[in-house]
Amino acid sequence: MKSVIGLEIHTQLSTKTKAFCSCKNEVDAEPNTNICPVCTGQPGALPVLNDEVVEYAIRAAAALNCEIHEVSSFDRKNYFYPDLPKGYQITQYFHPIATNGYIVLDNGKKIRIRRIHIEEDAGKMFHSSETITQATSSLVDLNRCGIPLIEIVTEPDMEKPEEAREFMEKLRDILRTIGVSTGNMEEGALRCDANVSVHDDKRSSSRVEVKNINSFKFVQKALEYEIKRITKAMEAGENVPQETRGWDSSTKSTVSMRSKEAENDYRYFPEPDLPVLVVSKERIERIKKSLPELPDEKSKRYVEKLGVKEENAKILSKEPELSEYFEEVVKAGVSAKDASNWIVNEVLGLFNADGLEFKGEKVPIKHLKKIIEYTNTSKISRLAAKEVLAEVYKSGKDPDEIVKERNLLQVSNEDELIAVVKEVIEENPDTVQKYKNGKTSVVGFFVGGVMKKTKGKADPKVVGKLVKQLLDGES
Amino acid sequence: MISDMTVEELMESVKKGKMKSDEIVDYFKKRSEELDKKLSAYISKCEIKENEGGLNGIPFAVKDNMQLEGTKTTCASKILENYGSTYTATAVKRLLNEGAVALAKTNMDEFAMGSSTEFSAFFPTKNPWDLGRVPGGSSGGSAAAVAAGMVPFALGSDTGGSIRQPASFCGIVGYKPSYGLVSRYGLAAFASSMDQIGPLAKSVRDAALITEIMAGKDPKDATTVDKKIDLLKGVENSIEGMRMAIPKEFLKDLSPDVKMVFQEAIEKFEKMGTKIEEVSIPSLKYAVSVYYIIAPAEASSNLSRYDGIRYGLRIEEDTIDGIYNQTRNKGFGREVKRRIMLGTFTLSATYYDAYFDKAQKVRTLIKREMDEVLSSHDAILGPTTPNVAFKFGELSSPLDYYLQDIYTIPANLAGLPAMSLPMGFVNNMPIGLQIMTKRFEDAKMMRIARSYEKARGKFPMPKLNGGDER
Ligand SMILES: [Zn+2]
Repeated sequence: MKSVIGLEIHTQLSTKTKAFCSCKNEVDAEPNTNICPVCTGQPGALPVLNDEVVEYAIRAAAALNCEIHEVSSFDRKNYFYPDLPKGYQITQYFHPIATNGYIVLDNGKKIRIRRIHIEEDAGKMFHSSETITQATSSLVDLNRCGIPLIEIVTEPDMEKPEEAREFMEKLRDILRTIGVSTGNMEEGALRCDANVSVHDDKRSSSRVEVKNINSFKFVQKALEYEIKRITKAMEAGENVPQETRGWDSSTKSTVSMRSKEAENDYRYFPEPDLPVLVVSKERIERIKKSLPELPDEKSKRYVEKLGVKEENAKILSKEPELSEYFEEVVKAGVSAKDASNWIVNEVLGLFNADGLEFKGEKVPIKHLKKIIEYTNTSKISRLAAKEVLAEVYKSGKDPDEIVKERNLLQVSNEDELIAVVKEVIEENPDTVQKYKNGKTSVVGFFVGGVMKKTKGKADPKVVGKLVKQLLDGES
Repeated sequence: MISDMTVEELMESVKKGKMKSDEIVDYFKKRSEELDKKLSAYISKCEIKENEGGLNGIPFAVKDNMQLEGTKTTCASKILENYGSTYTATAVKRLLNEGAVALAKTNMDEFAMGSSTEFSAFFPTKNPWDLGRVPGGSSGGSAAAVAAGMVPFALGSDTGGSIRQPASFCGIVGYKPSYGLVSRYGLAAFASSMDQIGPLAKSVRDAALITEIMAGKDPKDATTVDKKIDLLKGVENSIEGMRMAIPKEFLKDLSPDVKMVFQEAIEKFEKMGTKIEEVSIPSLKYAVSVYYIIAPAEASSNLSRYDGIRYGLRIEEDTIDGIYNQTRNKGFGREVKRRIMLGTFTLSATYYDAYFDKAQKVRTLIKREMDEVLSSHDAILGPTTPNVAFKFGELSSPLDYYLQDIYTIPANLAGLPAMSLPMGFVNNMPIGLQIMTKRFEDAKMMRIARSYEKARGKFPMPKLNGGDER
């Protein structure tokens, strides 16, 4: 059995104001404070398109390799719901602003984007119980109402849930890099509905739409679940109806929301309150030219020009904040190899352990640079370096201060170390014998002993040299 | 008599110190009080003055589908019976900024759907010329108030003739500006692609003066154009040598009485040195059909916001669908429901191509044919209405009502400026002449109207007693 997956993605644009009125684009303000006659659907209020929305939509379309249309227009999608004050959503149904784009996955597969259109978000509802039908009361917050969205619709080009997840992650990285959206799925700034069907040579299932997927992990999980469910039903000879299902992250399963027959007829028609949207060729070109380097190009450059390991390059190029940080560290004089290894393995490790997003200011570049330098010049051991870094991350203290406070300076002076080395050798005659019998790998044992005695401060390279000298000298 | 003075005359007498603006306001308040008992032109009264300016102390009335802070905006509907305005419509605001004083919100057909005010959810308005007849609609309250001298001018809205038809029935001037000239911000939408605010007034010059103040780009209405149109300048110029077109489609079903009055008007135009030519605009025969597909379609969407959730009437029910159904069932009148259903049907996926899409195409055709005629002619002339005001209850089927708009609808479909001004009487009831020009040639239209107005001479006011002791 093979599956076919297509995605419909809604992205909130982080413009200063809403799409069709001048209310602030701030979802998390006190409920119903960023509202006005327009976004609450008062009689006689009219929409006026925020030009920043056009700018952001074109930027996204350009970054996603789309054909951008000089003329597009708005339409009304009509349905009743308490979070939709006008009884219709303004969207672009007949003539979207962009079509025919794509994202290339790491395996080289091109996932085509059918269209991108501008629309407005609805308000947010709070029900006294799980759903509006069970609730005895519901509250509506219209702060979110009218926030600009772009909807991105892919072709059904994905075959595996992992591909859908990768597509979503790549999309998020691109949107963040070009600065049009936070791309945060948990907060609803990026939302994904997935269409999936399953087929083999003989039969094929109807298309099922899965909604309410609110994390990158769940994109994969929900699709895996759904494909398994459909496959099982088909193998049992059951009919798979065309329907919309909702992902329930608590039960890790999907539940039927509505059948095809219950689908709304949205009665789309051209929005008479808004003139057609005309964008000049020059403007489209200007926006295309102003796009920053996108994650995939950046990653390629890190590998080819800077000699960064491919896996590190991918990670560093995802987030604009991270890649800027990396490049700053390199600019400060650290080698790209050191910078990338340290950032990916150590710095990101600290954030990941806390479940936090990377924030450059938590590990100031000059501090990181110092730690790397001290390690490279054996001023402190690698172990000590990690300790210093963790403290910098925690308190923001200067590395020199930490090294001094904790007495972490590495001892590489041979005269200081020789006594300790001698001590360790004397304490372990059996192991010395082993060495003499030809088992040279025991050097590490002696080095370890010295490190223990010096509480990690000894330079292991120097210690190793001394151990060998003394053992060889004795023979 | 103050009651038959134009806005210009009132301004002049204030300027000359003959009257104080307070006196004018008091006079019209008192006269309104008296006459409204007979005419029921107002839904609510108010006295809102915000500024000093060129229109200082000039009272006016506002159709009750325009937001005006400090008043209710009911749209003559149960569903908005208690809706307090949340802001002030741009057109109204601009008049208030010039010192005009809002005295009332006027009666209308519910949500502007109708041509008699019989479809007001509250009460019908009576025609000042004959209390047994309708004033026309949907801006019937505004027309009756101006005709009766309760206010010197009033605002109406015109989607398919809702300013011009009542102006014709009440013997006053009614002007629908070019689409995009006056902001719709604050006008409860009926059919957004055709709605336009305009004045009902006693003279062509008043209509020009008022509209000049209201017109112009509004950042809150994306369909307004950035055009400065000088309506008064050149309004007195001669129209000699102009070419007037009379579509024979307008004359076909005209009663002999109306035809005669229209013929007299045409003779005046000939005397003024204009050339009169009969033309044919074949697509006009589809105008009513096209209008009654597009307007209800837009209306069905525009009226979705009246759902009982955030404001207005709400009938409590156990389910959300129950609230929607009962609120809208009890809140909307028959005609509104009829049009919502019609529009919902023509927009449905199954019928969109057959109705809405086809109607849009025919609309384009009508626009093109009218533009063609207007590229070789200065204006299109015709009667505003097929007949004079009808009696209450005289029309029965919805279609009879819909045919009232047969001459006025084309201007809305094509976005053209159009004016109705009194041209005579049939059976002692006034009837209007309609003038249409190219879109944004509103100034030319004014000039033609003014020339005719001068040739016609002063048009009388209905004989009504009330407040006019002076
Ligand atoms: Zn707003």
